[in-house]
Amino acid sequence: MSKEEEILEKIKEKFGNKVKDMTIKRSRRIFAETDMKNLKEILRYAKDELGFDHISTITGRDLGEELELIYHIAYQNAIELSIKTKIPKENPRITTIVDLYPSAGIYEREVHDLLGVVFEGNPDLSPLLLPDNWPKGVYPLRKDVTLEEIRELIEKGGEKG
Amino acid sequence: MSGSTIKVIIGPQHPALKEPERFILETEGEYVVDVKVRIGYIHRGIEKAMENRTYLQGLYLSERVCGICSDAHTTCYVQGVEELLGVEPPPRSRFIRVVVAELERIHSHLLWLGIAAHEIGFDTLFMYVWRDREIVMDLLEIVSGNRVHYATNTIGGVRRDLNDEKIHKILKGLKTLEDRAKEYLKMIQKEQTVLKRTVNVGILSKSDAIKYGAVGPTVRASGVKRDVRADDPYAAYDEIPFNVIVEDGCDCLARIMVRSREVLESIHIIREALKRMPGGEIRVRVKPRIPPAEALSRVEAPRGELLYYIRSNGTDKPERCKIRTPTLANIPSLCKMLVGGYIADVPIVLAGIDPCFACMDRVLVIDREKREAKVWTLDMLRRYGREWYRKR
Repeated sequence: MSKEEEILEKIKEKFGNKVKDMTIKRSRRIFAETDMKNLKEILRYAKDELGFDHISTITGRDLGEELELIYHIAYQNAIELSIKTKIPKENPRITTIVDLYPSAGIYEREVHDLLGVVFEGNPDLSPLLLPDNWPKGVYPLRKDVTLEEIRELIEKGGEKG
Repeated sequence: MSGSTIKVIIGPQHPALKEPERFILETEGEYVVDVKVRIGYIHRGIEKAMENRTYLQGLYLSERVCGICSDAHTTCYVQGVEELLGVEPPPRSRFIRVVVAELERIHSHLLWLGIAAHEIGFDTLFMYVWRDREIVMDLLEIVSGNRVHYATNTIGGVRRDLNDEKIHKILKGLKTLEDRAKEYLKMIQKEQTVLKRTVNVGILSKSDAIKYGAVGPTVRASGVKRDVRADDPYAAYDEIPFNVIVEDGCDCLARIMVRSREVLESIHIIREALKRMPGGEIRVRVKPRIPPAEALSRVEAPRGELLYYIRSNGTDKPERCKIRTPTLANIPSLCKMLVGGYIADVPIVLAGIDPCFACMDRVLVIDREKREAKVWTLDMLRRYGREWYRKR
């Protein structure tokens, strides 16, 4: 059994159908999906029991009605495990993971800036990338925000309307 | 914070050198007790721009994410797109990618070594290193036609082949570089000017390096053997034997040592790549539209793990292209290194992670008791550091 299959089996055994669509895309690349409420439990297990002690980043993606977050974690045989979860766009809130991965704080700040996800419990969600006068509620990586709108905002120096 | 702490604000404006960022240092006497970071002053929205451009246009955008490690970005990008397409680049192109990547690493590490020397007031070393860096810049120009944006990679392979004449010139240039790099490595370990400012400065323990997610030479200087080239091999790295350079000093000297030794290792890798390079095609043609898929691509940029997550949706434009640069990954570790250190050490510790958004230029000192604010330039902070050490 390959290292990837071993990890896959262990996660399946521990979490059963809490983990969906777990696939080995190629060597050192595992993708999986879970509900928001199980995410932290799985990350904790992967970190403490399977040696995934490095978080590469968090990718945020606009799916239309929902936002998708992908937690890319790695190390121990350099396998990159990407765990996806969906949160409603109406109320995009999820618990922080800075207590598990202190370095995730800055990635949460980035996703907060660009997609408007609130990471509950993150002590510092101040702007990281966007200007201080960027209007509230405009999240540039959301699909409904067009390049023209962004251009216009920048020309007006961040003032909306 | 107690009333006796002073806020030192560094950045973000930069009239002349490097790039903008902002650090707010909470200080007590000569010690830094807390750090807050604000970046984004040069945020260009490239991820959003990519969603609105074709894969081929995205290639040229990715090259422009960084002016120092442009090749690392295109390598990471094209690998991701090739995976989405299910296309294998020809073997020869994978070796050419290694050659350019390692030439870029040498130029980047030498650039950094010069800056590190400048930050500690050792401008003689800075000038010698940057003189020698011109050799590798010339080699990059011979290989690619350009000094900065090499435009070597394309989706499905590389755009330019290497011939015997170019290979001969590379080998000749590498010999000189090797002699110089060995000389620097010897000197660094003996020269008091370097040792006095770097030993036990900017400590990042092994466990903290892992905890705070450090990458690249920063994590390797804390005794952690992590290198994407060896751990998650791409291009032709699995066909070339090489060593992952690790130092366990956990300080600024260890970071200098790792990068200096990596220059020599890169020279070795290029020689091996040129020796083992097979003949044949250098690129395959690819389709412009990509069916829905996702790929996660990683490379070892000069500053560490670089990551692209790309998702296709059936059109000729990506649905999403996420970029995580190594400098962002090293920010939490940098904050850890600064806390507990001297204000005078801030420039060299900052330089220690080889930040790609580079440096501070204005320093705002706020005395909380007097409610006064003074503006410092980076030069003033650098001079302050040098003076402070001279008086010690």
